[in-house]
Amino acid sequence: MNAIPLGLHIMKERLTAGRMMVIWPLLAMFILFSSWGLSDPKVNLPSSIVIDSAYDVMFVSTAFIIFSATLGAVLISFDGVSRDRLSGVLEIKLSQPIKRSIYAKALLFGHWSAIFLPVMILNLISLLIIWYRLDDLPSIEEFFIYTLGTGLLLLWYTSIQLLASSWAKDLGSSIAIGLGLWMVFTLLWLVLTTVVAGISGVGVDDLNSTDYIRIDAIMDLFSPNGVYHHLLEMPLDDVNRGMHPAYISLAAILWSIIPVYLFTNRIERIYP
Amino acid sequence: METLLSLSDVSWRHKVRDFSTWKPWAQRDGSGIYSIDLEIKYGTIIGLIGPNGAGKSTLMRAICGLYDCEGFDKSCEDRRTQIGYMPEQVRWEGRTTVRHALESIAMMREDEVDIQSIIQTVGLSSKSEELLDNLSQGMRQRLSLACALFGNPKMLVMDEPLNGLDPLAQRAFSNLLKNLAKKGVAIVISSHQVTDLESLVDEVALLHHGQLLIEGTLNKVRKDLDLEQDSGIVEMICSATGVDPEEISLELSRDNMLPFKNLGGEEE
Repeated sequence: MNAIPLGLHIMKERLTAGRMMVIWPLLAMFILFSSWGLSDPKVNLPSSIVIDSAYDVMFVSTAFIIFSATLGAVLISFDGVSRDRLSGVLEIKLSQPIKRSIYAKALLFGHWSAIFLPVMILNLISLLIIWYRLDDLPSIEEFFIYTLGTGLLLLWYTSIQLLASSWAKDLGSSIAIGLGLWMVFTLLWLVLTTVVAGISGVGVDDLNSTDYIRIDAIMDLFSPNGVYHHLLEMPLDDVNRGMHPAYISLAAILWSIIPVYLFTNRIERIYP
Repeated sequence: METLLSLSDVSWRHKVRDFSTWKPWAQRDGSGIYSIDLEIKYGTIIGLIGPNGAGKSTLMRAICGLYDCEGFDKSCEDRRTQIGYMPEQVRWEGRTTVRHALESIAMMREDEVDIQSIIQTVGLSSKSEELLDNLSQGMRQRLSLACALFGNPKMLVMDEPLNGLDPLAQRAFSNLLKNLAKKGVAIVISSHQVTDLESLVDEVALLHHGQLLIEGTLNKVRKDLDLEQDSGIVEMICSATGVDPEEISLELSRDNMLPFKNLGGEEE
Protein backbone atom coordinates (compact mmCIF):
# COMPACT_ATOMS: atom_id res chain seq x y z
CA MET A 1 0.00 0.00 0.00
CA ASN A 2 1.27 3.44 -0.97
CA ALA A 3 1.16 6.56 1.21
CA ILE A 4 0.94 9.00 -1.71
CA PRO A 5 -2.75 8.51 -2.75
CA LEU A 6 -3.93 8.71 0.85
CA GLY A 7 -1.64 11.71 1.41
CA LEU A 8 -3.13 13.46 -1.63
CA HIS A 9 -6.59 12.76 -0.25
CA ILE A 10 -5.62 14.33 3.08
CA MET A 11 -4.09 17.29 1.20
CA LYS A 12 -7.36 17.85 -0.67
CA GLU A 13 -9.28 17.71 2.60
CA ARG A 14 -6.94 20.23 4.21
CA LEU A 15 -6.91 22.58 1.22
CA THR A 16 -10.70 22.81 1.34
CA ALA A 17 -10.84 23.31 5.11
CA GLY A 18 -12.29 26.56 6.45
CA ARG A 19 -8.98 27.68 7.93
CA MET A 20 -7.53 28.07 4.44
CA MET A 21 -9.72 31.19 4.16
CA VAL A 22 -7.32 32.71 6.70
CA ILE A 23 -4.10 31.06 5.56
CA TRP A 24 -4.32 31.99 1.85
CA PRO A 25 -4.64 35.77 2.44
CA LEU A 26 -1.99 35.59 5.17
CA LEU A 27 0.47 33.87 2.82
CA ALA A 28 -0.45 36.12 -0.10
CA MET A 29 0.10 39.30 1.90
CA PHE A 30 3.45 38.20 3.29
CA ILE A 31 4.92 36.53 0.20
CA LEU A 32 3.59 38.72 -2.62
CA PHE A 33 3.78 42.06 -0.84
CA SER A 34 7.32 41.37 0.40
CA SER A 35 8.41 40.46 -3.13
CA TRP A 36 6.79 43.62 -4.49
CA GLY A 37 8.35 45.86 -1.85
CA LEU A 38 11.80 44.31 -1.81
CA SER A 39 12.10 44.30 -5.61
CA ASP A 40 11.64 48.08 -5.73
CA PRO A 41 14.90 49.42 -7.20
CA LYS A 42 14.76 52.35 -4.76
CA VAL A 43 14.32 50.22 -1.64
CA ASN A 44 16.57 51.06 1.35
CA LEU A 45 17.08 48.29 3.89
CA PRO A 46 18.71 48.53 7.33
CA SER A 47 21.96 46.78 8.33
CA SER A 48 23.60 47.60 5.00
CA ILE A 49 21.63 44.84 3.22
CA VAL A 50 22.10 45.32 -0.50
CA ILE A 51 19.67 43.89 -3.01
CA ASP A 52 21.01 43.69 -6.53
CA SER A 53 19.63 40.42 -7.91
CA ALA A 54 16.42 38.39 -8.01
CA TYR A 55 17.87 35.83 -5.60
CA ASP A 56 18.73 38.63 -3.13
CA VAL A 57 15.03 39.59 -3.12
CA MET A 58 14.02 35.97 -2.59
CA PHE A 59 16.59 35.55 0.20
CA VAL A 60 15.48 38.65 2.11
CA SER A 61 11.80 37.82 1.62
CA THR A 62 12.35 34.48 3.39
CA ALA A 63 12.00 36.44 6.65
CA PHE A 64 8.35 36.81 5.68
CA ILE A 65 8.10 33.15 4.63
CA ILE A 66 9.37 32.18 8.06
CA PHE A 67 6.61 34.22 9.64
CA SER A 68 3.71 33.21 7.44
CA ALA A 69 4.36 29.77 5.95
CA THR A 70 5.57 28.17 9.17
CA LEU A 71 2.56 29.58 11.00
CA GLY A 72 0.43 28.15 8.19
CA ALA A 73 2.05 24.73 8.71
CA VAL A 74 1.18 24.92 12.41
CA LEU A 75 -2.41 26.01 11.71
CA ILE A 76 -2.95 23.25 9.15
CA SER A 77 -1.44 20.44 11.21
CA PHE A 78 -2.39 21.22 14.80
CA ASP A 79 -5.40 18.89 14.73
CA GLY A 80 -3.95 16.39 12.25
CA VAL A 81 -4.12 13.57 14.77
CA SER A 82 -5.82 15.01 17.86
CA ARG A 83 -9.14 15.81 16.17
CA ASP A 84 -9.55 12.24 14.90
CA ARG A 85 -8.46 10.92 18.27
CA LEU A 86 -10.98 13.03 20.17
CA SER A 87 -13.86 12.28 17.81
CA GLY A 88 -13.22 8.52 17.70
CA VAL A 89 -12.47 8.49 13.97
CA LEU A 90 -8.87 7.47 14.72
CA GLU A 91 -10.20 4.17 16.12
CA ILE A 92 -11.82 3.45 12.78
CA LYS A 93 -8.71 4.47 10.85
CA LEU A 94 -6.32 2.42 12.98
CA SER A 95 -8.58 -0.63 12.70
CA GLN A 96 -8.10 -0.63 8.92
CA PRO A 97 -5.50 -3.01 7.45
CA ILE A 98 -2.97 -0.30 6.65
CA LYS A 99 0.50 -0.33 8.16
CA ARG A 100 0.70 2.42 10.73
CA SER A 101 4.04 3.60 9.34
CA ILE A 102 2.38 4.13 5.95
CA TYR A 103 -0.50 5.98 7.57
CA ALA A 104 2.02 8.21 9.38
CA LYS A 105 3.79 8.96 6.09
CA ALA A 106 0.44 9.75 4.43
CA LEU A 107 -0.40 12.15 7.25
CA LEU A 108 2.98 13.84 6.90
CA PHE A 109 2.77 14.08 3.12
CA GLY A 110 -0.85 15.28 3.15
CA HIS A 111 -0.32 18.03 5.71
CA TRP A 112 3.04 19.10 4.30
CA SER A 113 1.76 19.36 0.74
CA ALA A 114 -1.32 21.31 1.91
CA ILE A 115 0.98 24.17 2.96
CA PHE A 116 3.81 23.64 0.46
CA LEU A 117 1.51 23.86 -2.56
CA PRO A 118 0.04 27.31 -1.74
CA VAL A 119 3.48 28.61 -0.76
CA MET A 120 5.00 27.44 -4.04
CA ILE A 121 2.14 28.87 -6.11
CA LEU A 122 2.66 32.24 -4.41
CA ASN A 123 6.44 31.93 -4.80
CA LEU A 124 6.03 31.44 -8.54
CA ILE A 125 3.80 34.52 -8.70
CA SER A 126 6.38 36.45 -6.67
CA LEU A 127 9.03 35.38 -9.21
CA LEU A 128 6.92 37.02 -11.92
CA ILE A 129 6.69 40.17 -9.76
CA ILE A 130 10.47 40.22 -9.29
CA TRP A 131 10.99 39.70 -13.03
CA TYR A 132 8.60 42.54 -13.80
CA ARG A 133 10.20 44.92 -11.26
CA LEU A 134 13.89 44.00 -11.56
CA ASP A 135 14.02 42.39 -14.98
CA ASP A 136 16.00 39.57 -13.41
CA LEU A 137 15.31 35.93 -12.52
CA PRO A 138 17.19 33.57 -10.21
CA SER A 139 19.29 30.81 -11.75
CA ILE A 140 17.92 27.26 -11.80
CA GLU A 141 20.38 26.28 -9.07
CA GLU A 142 19.28 29.21 -6.88
CA PHE A 143 15.60 28.41 -7.42
CA PHE A 144 16.24 24.73 -6.63
CA ILE A 145 17.97 25.55 -3.35
CA TYR A 146 15.23 28.02 -2.46
CA THR A 147 12.49 25.47 -3.19
CA LEU A 148 14.33 22.67 -1.40
CA GLY A 149 14.97 24.86 1.64
CA THR A 150 11.37 26.03 1.81
CA GLY A 151 10.06 22.49 1.38
CA LEU A 152 12.32 21.21 4.14
CA LEU A 153 11.41 24.07 6.50
CA LEU A 154 7.71 23.29 6.06
CA LEU A 155 8.37 19.57 6.53
CA TRP A 156 10.16 20.27 9.82
CA TYR A 157 7.34 22.40 11.16
CA THR A 158 4.67 20.00 9.90
CA SER A 159 6.31 16.96 11.48
CA ILE A 160 6.88 18.77 14.79
CA GLN A 161 3.27 19.98 14.87
CA LEU A 162 1.86 16.56 13.95
CA LEU A 163 3.99 15.02 16.69
CA ALA A 164 2.56 17.57 19.14
CA SER A 165 -0.92 16.78 17.84
CA SER A 166 -0.40 13.07 18.49
CA TRP A 167 0.82 13.76 22.03
CA ALA A 168 -1.92 16.19 22.98
CA LYS A 169 -5.11 14.92 24.57
CA ASP A 170 -7.06 17.94 23.39
CA LEU A 171 -6.91 20.52 20.60
CA GLY A 172 -5.92 23.33 22.99
CA SER A 173 -2.80 21.53 24.16
CA SER A 174 -1.89 20.65 20.59
CA ILE A 175 -2.01 24.22 19.33
CA ALA A 176 -0.34 25.49 22.52
CA ILE A 177 2.64 23.18 21.94
CA GLY A 178 2.81 24.04 18.24
CA LEU A 179 2.50 27.79 18.65
CA GLY A 180 4.86 27.71 21.63
CA LEU A 181 7.58 26.04 19.57
CA TRP A 182 6.86 28.36 16.63
CA MET A 183 7.31 31.38 18.91
CA VAL A 184 10.54 29.98 20.35
CA PHE A 185 12.08 29.37 16.93
CA THR A 186 10.66 32.45 15.22
CA LEU A 187 10.59 35.16 17.87
CA LEU A 188 12.64 34.09 20.87
CA TRP A 189 15.62 32.42 19.19
CA LEU A 190 17.46 35.73 18.92
CA VAL A 191 17.05 36.24 22.67
CA LEU A 192 18.28 32.71 23.33
CA THR A 193 21.26 33.31 21.03
CA THR A 194 22.25 36.48 22.89
CA VAL A 195 21.91 34.67 26.22
CA VAL A 196 24.18 31.86 25.00
CA ALA A 197 26.61 34.43 23.61
CA GLY A 198 26.62 36.29 26.92
CA ILE A 199 27.23 33.06 28.88
CA SER A 200 30.05 32.18 26.45
CA GLY A 201 31.73 35.50 27.14
CA VAL A 202 30.94 37.00 23.74
CA GLY A 203 29.86 40.63 23.85
CA VAL A 204 26.30 41.20 22.72
CA ASP A 205 26.68 44.95 22.27
CA ASP A 206 28.00 44.46 18.72
CA LEU A 207 25.88 41.96 16.79
CA ASN A 208 28.19 42.29 13.77
CA SER A 209 31.30 41.14 15.61
CA THR A 210 33.01 37.99 14.29
CA ASP A 211 32.56 36.13 17.59
CA TYR A 212 28.86 36.89 17.82
CA ILE A 213 28.27 35.91 14.18
CA ARG A 214 30.05 32.63 14.88
CA ILE A 215 27.84 31.90 17.93
CA ASP A 216 24.78 32.96 15.93
CA ALA A 217 25.71 30.55 13.12
CA ILE A 218 26.18 27.66 15.56
CA MET A 219 22.92 28.39 17.38
CA ASP A 220 21.11 28.52 14.04
CA LEU A 221 21.93 24.84 13.51
CA PHE A 222 19.60 24.02 16.39
CA SER A 223 16.65 25.92 14.97
CA PRO A 224 14.69 24.99 11.81
CA ASN A 225 14.58 28.65 10.78
CA GLY A 226 18.33 28.93 11.29
CA VAL A 227 19.12 25.86 9.20
CA TYR A 228 16.78 27.24 6.52
CA HIS A 229 18.78 30.46 6.43
CA HIS A 230 22.05 28.56 6.36
CA LEU A 231 20.79 26.59 3.34
CA LEU A 232 19.68 29.73 1.50
CA GLU A 233 22.99 31.48 2.23
CA MET A 234 24.91 28.80 0.37
CA PRO A 235 24.57 30.38 -3.12
CA LEU A 236 25.35 33.87 -1.77
CA ASP A 237 28.97 34.88 -2.32
CA ASP A 238 28.89 37.93 -0.05
CA VAL A 239 27.46 36.10 2.99
CA ASN A 240 29.79 33.87 4.95
CA ARG A 241 29.20 33.11 8.61
CA GLY A 242 32.04 30.58 8.73
CA MET A 243 29.85 27.47 8.87
CA HIS A 244 31.07 24.53 6.82
CA PRO A 245 28.43 23.21 4.37
CA ALA A 246 28.86 19.71 5.82
CA TYR A 247 27.52 20.89 9.19
CA ILE A 248 24.61 22.65 7.50
CA SER A 249 23.76 19.53 5.48
CA LEU A 250 24.06 17.35 8.58
CA ALA A 251 21.76 19.67 10.53
CA ALA A 252 19.23 19.65 7.66
CA ILE A 253 19.34 15.85 7.52
CA LEU A 254 18.90 15.51 11.28
CA TRP A 255 16.03 18.01 11.33
CA SER A 256 14.42 15.97 8.54
CA ILE A 257 14.95 12.57 10.12
CA ILE A 258 14.40 13.03 13.85
CA PRO A 259 10.90 14.61 13.97
CA VAL A 260 9.67 12.34 11.15
CA TYR A 261 11.04 9.27 12.94
CA LEU A 262 9.51 10.35 16.25
CA PHE A 263 6.14 10.96 14.61
CA THR A 264 6.14 7.64 12.73
CA ASN A 265 7.14 5.85 15.91
CA ARG A 266 4.40 7.64 17.82
CA ILE A 267 1.71 6.62 15.31
CA GLU A 268 2.94 3.02 15.41
CA ARG A 269 2.44 2.96 19.18
CA ILE A 270 -0.56 5.24 19.64
CA TYR A 271 -3.69 3.88 21.32
CA PRO A 272 -6.93 5.53 20.27
CA MET B 1 -19.97 -24.28 13.74
CA GLU B 2 -16.40 -23.51 12.75
CA THR B 3 -14.40 -21.15 14.94
CA LEU B 4 -13.38 -17.86 13.33
CA LEU B 5 -11.37 -16.36 16.17
CA SER B 6 -10.14 -17.86 19.36
CA LEU B 7 -9.10 -15.87 22.43
CA SER B 8 -7.01 -17.61 25.04
CA ASP B 9 -5.89 -15.85 28.21
CA VAL B 10 -6.11 -12.40 26.62
CA SER B 11 -5.15 -9.63 29.02
CA TRP B 12 -4.63 -5.92 28.58
CA ARG B 13 -4.11 -3.13 31.09
CA HIS B 14 -4.47 0.53 30.22
CA LYS B 15 -1.62 2.76 31.26
CA VAL B 16 -2.71 5.55 33.56
CA ARG B 17 -0.75 8.58 34.71
CA ASP B 18 1.04 8.12 38.00
CA PHE B 19 1.97 11.74 38.46
CA SER B 20 4.72 12.62 40.86
CA THR B 21 6.92 15.68 41.26
CA TRP B 22 10.10 13.96 40.14
CA LYS B 23 8.54 11.72 37.48
CA PRO B 24 5.67 13.59 35.82
CA TRP B 25 5.76 11.14 32.92
CA ALA B 26 5.42 8.03 35.12
CA GLN B 27 2.64 5.58 34.35
CA ARG B 28 1.21 2.52 36.03
CA ASP B 29 -1.17 -0.25 35.07
CA GLY B 30 -4.82 0.74 35.28
CA SER B 31 -8.03 -1.06 34.51
CA GLY B 32 -8.36 -3.41 31.55
CA ILE B 33 -9.30 -6.96 30.73
CA TYR B 34 -7.95 -10.03 32.42
CA SER B 35 -7.47 -13.57 31.17
CA ILE B 36 -10.32 -13.66 28.66
CA ASP B 37 -11.05 -16.98 26.96
CA LEU B 38 -13.61 -16.84 24.18
CA GLU B 39 -14.38 -18.60 20.91
CA ILE B 40 -16.12 -16.65 18.17
CA LYS B 41 -17.80 -18.82 15.54
CA TYR B 42 -18.87 -18.04 11.98
CA GLY B 43 -22.47 -16.79 11.72
CA THR B 44 -22.89 -16.28 15.46
CA ILE B 45 -24.00 -13.03 17.09
CA ILE B 46 -22.40 -12.64 20.50
CA GLY B 47 -23.65 -9.93 22.83
CA LEU B 48 -21.05 -8.52 25.19
CA ILE B 49 -22.89 -7.27 28.24
CA GLY B 50 -21.75 -5.64 31.42
CA PRO B 51 -21.94 -2.38 33.36
CA ASN B 52 -19.98 0.77 32.51
CA GLY B 53 -16.26 0.17 32.87
CA ALA B 54 -16.62 -3.61 32.66
CA GLY B 55 -14.06 -3.80 29.84
CA LYS B 56 -16.39 -4.30 26.87
CA SER B 57 -14.80 -1.58 24.71
CA THR B 58 -11.29 -2.66 25.71
CA LEU B 59 -12.02 -6.25 24.74
CA MET B 60 -13.47 -5.10 21.42
CA ARG B 61 -10.43 -2.95 20.64
CA ALA B 62 -8.15 -5.86 21.52
CA ILE B 63 -10.13 -8.14 19.18
CA CYS B 64 -9.82 -5.56 16.37
CA GLY B 65 -6.04 -5.36 16.72
CA LEU B 66 -5.91 -1.86 18.16
CA TYR B 67 -4.01 -3.14 21.19
CA ASP B 68 -0.93 -5.23 20.68
CA CYS B 69 -1.82 -8.03 23.09
CA GLU B 70 -1.23 -11.75 22.88
CA GLY B 71 -3.59 -14.71 23.13
CA PHE B 72 -5.26 -14.63 19.71
CA ASP B 73 -4.96 -17.35 17.09
CA LYS B 74 -4.64 -14.65 14.40
CA SER B 75 -2.15 -11.81 14.12
CA CYS B 76 -3.13 -8.14 14.49
CA GLU B 77 -2.75 -7.63 10.73
CA ASP B 78 -4.98 -10.61 9.89
CA ARG B 79 -7.61 -9.46 12.35
CA ARG B 80 -7.61 -5.93 10.93
CA THR B 81 -8.11 -7.36 7.45
CA GLN B 82 -10.97 -9.65 8.45
CA ILE B 83 -12.78 -7.58 11.07
CA GLY B 84 -15.00 -4.54 10.55
CA TYR B 85 -15.07 -2.34 13.63
CA MET B 86 -17.69 0.17 14.65
CA PRO B 87 -16.64 2.14 17.75
CA GLU B 88 -19.07 3.76 20.14
CA GLN B 89 -20.51 7.17 19.25
CA VAL B 90 -17.97 8.45 16.74
CA ARG B 91 -18.36 12.21 16.34
CA TRP B 92 -17.81 12.59 12.61
CA GLU B 93 -17.23 16.29 11.99
CA GLY B 94 -15.70 18.67 9.51
CA ARG B 95 -16.45 20.41 6.25
CA THR B 96 -15.94 17.22 4.27
CA THR B 97 -18.76 15.20 2.73
CA VAL B 98 -19.94 11.75 3.76
CA ARG B 99 -18.65 10.30 0.51
CA HIS B 100 -15.24 11.94 0.90
CA ALA B 101 -14.95 10.63 4.47
CA LEU B 102 -15.78 7.13 3.30
CA GLU B 103 -13.30 7.41 0.42
CA SER B 104 -10.52 8.38 2.81
CA ILE B 105 -11.20 5.31 4.98
CA ALA B 106 -11.52 3.07 1.89
CA MET B 107 -8.07 4.21 0.75
CA MET B 108 -6.63 2.59 3.85
CA ARG B 109 -7.56 -0.83 2.49
CA GLU B 110 -5.98 -2.75 -0.33
CA ASP B 111 -9.21 -4.38 -1.53
CA GLU B 112 -11.66 -2.57 -3.80
CA VAL B 113 -14.56 -0.99 -1.92
CA ASP B 114 -17.91 -0.34 -3.60
CA ILE B 115 -18.71 2.85 -1.69
CA GLN B 116 -22.01 3.50 -3.47
CA SER B 117 -23.39 0.09 -2.58
CA ILE B 118 -22.34 0.46 1.07
CA ILE B 119 -23.89 3.93 1.21
CA GLN B 120 -27.15 2.39 0.00
CA THR B 121 -26.91 -0.52 2.43
CA VAL B 122 -26.67 1.77 5.46
CA GLY B 123 -29.33 4.17 4.17
CA LEU B 124 -27.12 7.19 3.54
CA SER B 125 -27.89 7.65 -0.17
CA SER B 126 -29.66 10.98 0.35
CA LYS B 127 -26.87 12.23 2.63
CA SER B 128 -23.81 11.20 0.62
CA GLU B 129 -22.96 14.79 -0.36
CA GLU B 130 -23.90 16.21 3.05
CA LEU B 131 -21.17 17.79 5.19
CA LEU B 132 -20.22 15.78 8.27
CA ASP B 133 -20.97 18.79 10.48
CA ASN B 134 -24.62 18.62 9.42
CA LEU B 135 -25.22 14.94 10.25
CA SER B 136 -27.42 13.83 13.14
CA GLN B 137 -26.06 11.27 15.61
CA GLY B 138 -28.10 8.54 13.95
CA MET B 139 -26.58 9.37 10.57
CA ARG B 140 -23.11 9.37 12.12
CA GLN B 141 -23.82 5.89 13.49
CA ARG B 142 -24.74 4.78 9.98
CA LEU B 143 -21.51 6.26 8.66
CA SER B 144 -19.52 4.30 11.25
CA LEU B 145 -21.43 1.18 10.25
CA ALA B 146 -20.54 1.84 6.60
CA CYS B 147 -16.85 1.88 7.52
CA ALA B 148 -17.25 -1.41 9.39
CA LEU B 149 -18.74 -3.02 6.28
CA PHE B 150 -15.73 -2.21 4.07
CA GLY B 151 -13.97 -5.21 2.56
CA ASN B 152 -16.76 -7.76 3.22
CA PRO B 153 -15.55 -8.52 6.75
CA LYS B 154 -15.78 -12.04 8.15
CA MET B 155 -16.52 -10.54 11.53
CA LEU B 156 -18.14 -7.34 12.78
CA VAL B 157 -17.29 -5.83 16.14
CA MET B 158 -19.75 -3.16 17.22
CA ASP B 159 -19.58 -1.09 20.38
CA GLU B 160 -23.02 0.06 21.54
CA PRO B 161 -24.22 0.40 17.92
CA LEU B 162 -27.87 0.98 18.78
CA ASN B 163 -27.18 4.20 20.73
CA GLY B 164 -28.50 7.24 18.90
CA LEU B 165 -30.63 5.26 16.45
CA ASP B 166 -34.39 5.80 16.28
CA PRO B 167 -36.60 2.71 16.77
CA LEU B 168 -37.08 2.21 13.03
CA ALA B 169 -33.35 2.43 12.39
CA GLN B 170 -32.74 0.05 15.29
CA ARG B 171 -35.09 -2.48 13.71
CA ALA B 172 -33.45 -2.05 10.29
CA PHE B 173 -30.04 -2.35 11.92
CA SER B 174 -31.02 -5.58 13.69
CA ASN B 175 -32.37 -7.02 10.44
CA LEU B 176 -29.13 -6.15 8.66
CA LEU B 177 -27.06 -7.87 11.34
CA LYS B 178 -29.27 -10.98 11.21
CA ASN B 179 -28.89 -11.14 7.42
CA LEU B 180 -25.12 -10.79 7.71
CA ALA B 181 -25.03 -13.53 10.34
CA LYS B 182 -27.02 -15.82 8.03
CA LYS B 183 -24.30 -15.28 5.43
CA GLY B 184 -21.74 -16.51 7.95
CA VAL B 185 -20.46 -13.21 9.34
CA ALA B 186 -19.59 -13.44 13.03
CA ILE B 187 -20.82 -10.46 15.03
CA VAL B 188 -19.72 -9.23 18.43
CA ILE B 189 -21.99 -6.50 19.71
CA SER B 190 -21.93 -4.73 23.06
CA SER B 191 -24.62 -3.13 25.12
CA HIS B 192 -25.26 -2.37 28.75
CA GLN B 193 -28.90 -3.33 28.23
CA VAL B 194 -29.87 -6.97 27.80
CA THR B 195 -33.26 -5.95 26.34
CA ASP B 196 -31.46 -4.25 23.43
CA LEU B 197 -29.85 -7.52 22.51
CA GLU B 198 -32.34 -10.15 23.53
CA SER B 199 -34.00 -10.54 20.14
CA LEU B 200 -30.72 -10.24 18.27
CA VAL B 201 -28.00 -12.33 19.84
CA ASP B 202 -27.33 -16.06 19.82
CA GLU B 203 -25.01 -15.94 22.80
CA VAL B 204 -24.04 -13.49 25.51
CA ALA B 205 -20.79 -12.97 27.35
CA LEU B 206 -21.04 -11.22 30.71
CA LEU B 207 -18.10 -8.99 31.58
CA HIS B 208 -17.43 -7.40 34.94
CA HIS B 209 -14.24 -5.78 36.25
CA GLY B 210 -12.45 -6.82 33.08
CA GLN B 211 -13.25 -10.48 33.59
CA LEU B 212 -15.50 -12.75 31.61
CA LEU B 213 -17.88 -14.13 34.22
CA ILE B 214 -20.04 -16.39 32.10
CA GLU B 215 -20.93 -17.01 28.47
CA GLY B 216 -23.54 -18.95 26.49
CA THR B 217 -27.08 -18.44 25.22
CA LEU B 218 -29.17 -16.00 27.27
CA ASN B 219 -31.38 -18.83 28.48
CA LYS B 220 -28.41 -20.95 29.44
CA VAL B 221 -26.77 -18.05 31.28
CA ARG B 222 -29.99 -17.31 33.16
CA LYS B 223 -30.45 -20.98 33.94
CA ASP B 224 -26.86 -21.39 35.11
CA LEU B 225 -27.24 -18.34 37.32
CA ASP B 226 -30.62 -19.54 38.55
CA LEU B 227 -32.42 -16.43 37.32
CA GLU B 228 -35.88 -15.67 35.96
CA GLN B 229 -36.40 -15.29 32.19
CA ASP B 230 -36.80 -11.48 32.27
CA SER B 231 -33.77 -10.77 34.46
CA GLY B 232 -31.31 -8.09 33.33
CA ILE B 233 -27.62 -7.38 33.68
CA VAL B 234 -27.79 -6.29 37.31
CA GLU B 235 -29.36 -9.58 38.36
CA MET B 236 -26.81 -11.47 36.28
CA ILE B 237 -23.84 -9.63 37.82
CA CYS B 238 -25.22 -9.97 41.32
CA SER B 239 -25.89 -13.64 40.81
CA ALA B 240 -22.43 -14.25 39.33
CA THR B 241 -20.68 -12.33 42.10
CA GLY B 242 -22.88 -13.43 44.99
CA VAL B 243 -24.13 -9.97 45.95
CA ASP B 244 -27.71 -9.35 47.04
CA PRO B 245 -29.47 -7.12 44.42
CA GLU B 246 -31.27 -5.30 47.25
CA GLU B 247 -27.99 -4.20 48.81
CA ILE B 248 -26.14 -2.76 45.86
CA SER B 249 -25.53 0.96 45.51
CA LEU B 250 -23.87 3.05 42.80
CA GLU B 251 -20.59 1.83 44.22
CA LEU B 252 -20.36 -1.07 41.82
CA SER B 253 -16.63 -1.40 42.29
CA ARG B 254 -16.75 -2.69 45.84
CA ASP B 255 -14.16 -5.32 46.53
CA ASN B 256 -16.72 -7.90 47.58
CA MET B 257 -18.19 -7.77 44.07
CA LEU B 258 -14.93 -8.92 42.55
CA PRO B 259 -15.61 -12.46 41.46
CA PHE B 260 -13.02 -15.11 40.88
CA LYS B 261 -9.77 -13.34 40.19
CA ASN B 262 -8.08 -10.36 41.78
CA LEU B 263 -6.46 -8.01 39.28
CA GLY B 264 -3.89 -6.61 41.68
CA GLY B 265 -2.73 -3.00 41.45
CA GLU B 266 -6.13 -2.09 40.08
CA GLU B 267 -6.89 1.62 39.99
CA GLU B 268 -9.73 2.58 42.28
